[in-house]
Amino acid sequence: MEVVEKKQNGICILGLLGRLDSNTSPEFEKKIFEVIEDGTKSVIVDFESLDYISSAGLRVLLKATKQLKRSDGKIVLCSMKEYIKEVFEIAGFVSIFPIVSSVGEAVEEF
Amino acid sequence: MVADRVSLKLKNCLSELSTLGSCLEQLGVALGLSSKTLFEISLSMEELFSNIISYGYTDDAVHWIKVAISHEDGMLIIRLEDDGIPFDPLKAEEPDCKCPIDQRRIGNLGIHLTKKFMDDMVYERRGNINIVTVKKKITVR
Repeated sequence: MEVVEKKQNGICILGLLGRLDSNTSPEFEKKIFEVIEDGTKSVIVDFESLDYISSAGLRVLLKATKQLKRSDGKIVLCSMKEYIKEVFEIAGFVSIFPIVSSVGEAVEEF
Repeated sequence: MVADRVSLKLKNCLSELSTLGSCLEQLGVALGLSSKTLFEISLSMEELFSNIISYGYTDDAVHWIKVAISHEDGMLIIRLEDDGIPFDPLKAEEPDCKCPIDQRRIGNLGIHLTKKFMDDMVYERRGNINIVTVKKKITVR
């Protein structure tokens, strides 16, 4: 897995590539918490190039959003493949995270 | 690899997930499974496998987890065997997927997803072995 970081008007965009599973989620956890500890309050996670997620990936997102909420920050998710969105629906995560269809729309959420 | 029947022996460590993953991918190609079906199978296998290695063992020894995959009558059948402590995933508490974020916990979410994605799941304890058998309807092309 790879995490590509971009900054746009104070918003941090983390693009995920490949598989977010039990093996790779610690790497994503490290990255997203670095960003939060740097004081970023607005985070977009771009799922465009993500092919796979398991509960290990969901755990990192839940932990990160709880942390961000303490500083009035927010995570917006975008560009998910249909079968990945289904995981968020079954897990009941659609009520926790705004999920939109593009980075452009995600930027509008802030 | 013969598409009809696959047997694997995996060590109880997370790095074995890539072995399991590539085996499932080959199987997906051989059976012509859709990417959605393959994803649901891969996720369920990861959840069951990672559960065994996270909670199944109280010592630091290497343990082997046996995975047998077969298919018949439009059903993919996967059987996992481990010699860990008795654990029936069907008795795991259902996570609350509706409560507010502050009270939301991640525990058992993997099993919850697995139950949703698989059409059948059976647990048995035979001697000192846990056996979980899951089945999923597939369309073989």
